[in-house]
Amino acid sequence: MSVIEYDVIIIGAGVAGLTAGAWLSGQGLKVALVTAGEPTACLSTGCIDVCAKSDDPLQGIAHLPNDHPFHLVSSGTIRQALDDFQQIMAAMDMPYTGGLENNRRVLSAIGTFKTTCLTPVTMQASPQNGNERIHIITFAGLKDFYPGYIISRFKNASFSTYDAGVSTTMGIAANFEDDAFLEAFILWLEKQHNREDKIAVPAVLGLESAAAIIKQIEYRLERPVFEIPTIPPSMPGRRLFNGLKDHFRRKGGMIYWGWPVVGVEKTGRQIEAVMAQSQGRPNSLNARAFILATGSFVGGGLEAKRDTIVEKVFHLPVFVPGEREAWFDQDYFSMNHGIGRAGIAVDSSFRPTDCLWDNIFVCGAILAHTEALKNGCGHGFAIATGQAAAKSCLEHIQ
Amino acid sequence: MSYEHCIRCTICVENCPVFRVNPAFPGPKQAGPDAQRFRSDREKSADEWVLLCSQCKRCEMACPCGVEPAQIILRAQQKYGLEHPHTAAHLLFANNYYLSTLGSLTAPLANRFAATKIGKKIFQRMGIATYIPFPKFSFKTLRGTMKSRSRETRKVAFFYGCFINFYRPDIGRKIIRMLQSFKIDVVLPPQWCCGLPALGNGNLALARSFAGKNVASLSNYVDAGYDIVYTCTSCGLCLLHDYQGIMEIPGAKKIAENSYDLHEYVLKLIAETEIKPPFKEVNRTLAYHIPCHLRALEIGYPAANLMQLIPGLTCRILDDNCCGLNGSYGFKKINEVTALQLGGRVVSLIKKTGAEAIVADCGSCRMQLAGLSGMDAFDPVEILCESLGIKDKK
Repeated sequence: MSVIEYDVIIIGAGVAGLTAGAWLSGQGLKVALVTAGEPTACLSTGCIDVCAKSDDPLQGIAHLPNDHPFHLVSSGTIRQALDDFQQIMAAMDMPYTGGLENNRRVLSAIGTFKTTCLTPVTMQASPQNGNERIHIITFAGLKDFYPGYIISRFKNASFSTYDAGVSTTMGIAANFEDDAFLEAFILWLEKQHNREDKIAVPAVLGLESAAAIIKQIEYRLERPVFEIPTIPPSMPGRRLFNGLKDHFRRKGGMIYWGWPVVGVEKTGRQIEAVMAQSQGRPNSLNARAFILATGSFVGGGLEAKRDTIVEKVFHLPVFVPGEREAWFDQDYFSMNHGIGRAGIAVDSSFRPTDCLWDNIFVCGAILAHTEALKNGCGHGFAIATGQAAAKSCLEHIQ
Repeated sequence: MSYEHCIRCTICVENCPVFRVNPAFPGPKQAGPDAQRFRSDREKSADEWVLLCSQCKRCEMACPCGVEPAQIILRAQQKYGLEHPHTAAHLLFANNYYLSTLGSLTAPLANRFAATKIGKKIFQRMGIATYIPFPKFSFKTLRGTMKSRSRETRKVAFFYGCFINFYRPDIGRKIIRMLQSFKIDVVLPPQWCCGLPALGNGNLALARSFAGKNVASLSNYVDAGYDIVYTCTSCGLCLLHDYQGIMEIPGAKKIAENSYDLHEYVLKLIAETEIKPPFKEVNRTLAYHIPCHLRALEIGYPAANLMQLIPGLTCRILDDNCCGLNGSYGFKKINEVTALQLGGRVVSLIKKTGAEAIVADCGSCRMQLAGLSGMDAFDPVEILCESLGIKDKK
């Protein structure tokens, strides 16, 4: 029994789920999104990795193995999805720089470079090689960021420390939303008389006004300023999540928090409803179609048992990369752990193969053969498959 | 889930409103699962900062692993409360029900006294913040004014909660009239404070005594075929979650299975009995502030679904921020700065939407937001009644 009937229910509030949900809402459908908790996107750098295998991301995709699900998305859809994404985030005051023509580099908190495609505008000025002259600002007591790592790798880097009065990422970021705090920070920076070309700051420049804050600092110091993504709590990841979430809601989507799906109602080849154990008693939501975007192991979509891997919501058949011995490489930092290929195999319409139901679509990191780390296809893959699965879902409903 | 399921991802920390503005609170991860490893029943609790947690439950809603940091902290708060003397403010707010009963009986005097300078000074001496006016007691409580009739087939036992009973009985009367207009019988079962204020002030024993009485009373109504309807989201969370959880009240499961949020219930009626509420146009632009405990009820935002049915109404949902008051939390002097900073932030976000008024299910959210913004703050039911043409008649 359900109180409200939706056209589509999305399971999972990550980048893939929110992209699919917002796209379907934009088509005039009644969409709800249910989620157990907040997504791993909040822990990410906020950068949109499309494919890091080559300087040209589209070319990189073309060279991915044949069974990679990226091949199911046309390059037109990938382009469209990323364009849409950039427009959405610009409207949410968190513009993204870059394009599909070529990948960019972002300086990491340990002084290495990360290859990505689109970056938040706050990382636009991130150096592209180790010779650039940068001055790093860190904050007294902030234990999640050590400029020493970067300085050991950069010949022309120096640092100074600002006392923000608080020493946590969240606390400092919240303070930056206050104009007086920002002004004091800028005045202090001016007094430092830095001669370096660029100023680097760990990613704590505000909760949602980061783009405006960085612009103001750049204007006053007359030189580029950029954020360096930190370990969680990661502000750029949270801004990405907030932007996509607010956009989904503005399009008319409804979000159900604290909704781990514990049961499914089915008739014949249709899934009718998903059920959650909410406070007190089970609650169910009906829909005509469902999109599964629960992510892989960390996101909570997949669970590894001793000898098998299960998909937690619908118990869909999971592609398991051989026996348990084949799941892991001997080298911990290897990119070839077999487990990275586990997931749901889908056909060209993003329906799971060998599936008993017709009205379910799958997108994002839970797809089999993704190998997100190895191929450097993270949020970009989620955005592309999110939109592609949503298109299939719309065709199905019509 | 046990604290051992925590993977240290810090998503809860990102969601903690108190952690954002009060450096004295180490955040839900450290105060919850991390510190839990070092807590022992045999040792006296020393970490006074557990009291800084406002129990908004945002950490629990955000945790991807099903860990309940707020619940872990709540238990630590109870232990701390047992082992340490309570301050005047804690004692008063835990006993809010008795205080309010007295306040209502002497409403004309009590209200006037609370607004005087001396009154405010005395409050401050006791550790009570006075940055927003204390809510006004209503001389006629809801209990005192409503008589029940019984003819219809669907019957509702209304758990109105202290806020409506003592401060805003007019909203309670509107709710009853609205339900009656859907051909539903409404009775007011004997009831006490839900127990949440006592729990929030570290007084588990008092909370359990309230809860036990409520369960005994409500369970008779469930047996007689009544559905229980609550309207205060915090009362609801307490009935559904805490009675079975930390309070371990026998028979609480039956209450939880048969209790509904008012708007959830109306949606259920629309789906099951095909009532069609004749919603008329309401030309308003509203900012719907979602109370933390409505989120924590895990039923979605039913009032938002209902308000979508009202022609002409524009309603922007804002659910990312806690208003900061958290019932009696913000009224305590030690939390005043936290409450003010959080409230100010919510108000500035509301003002950005260009809304003409605020709507929120929770009485204490409305008190805080109206007090800080100078805007009107409505209960969603007031908007529904405006659309349905239902007025409060005494």
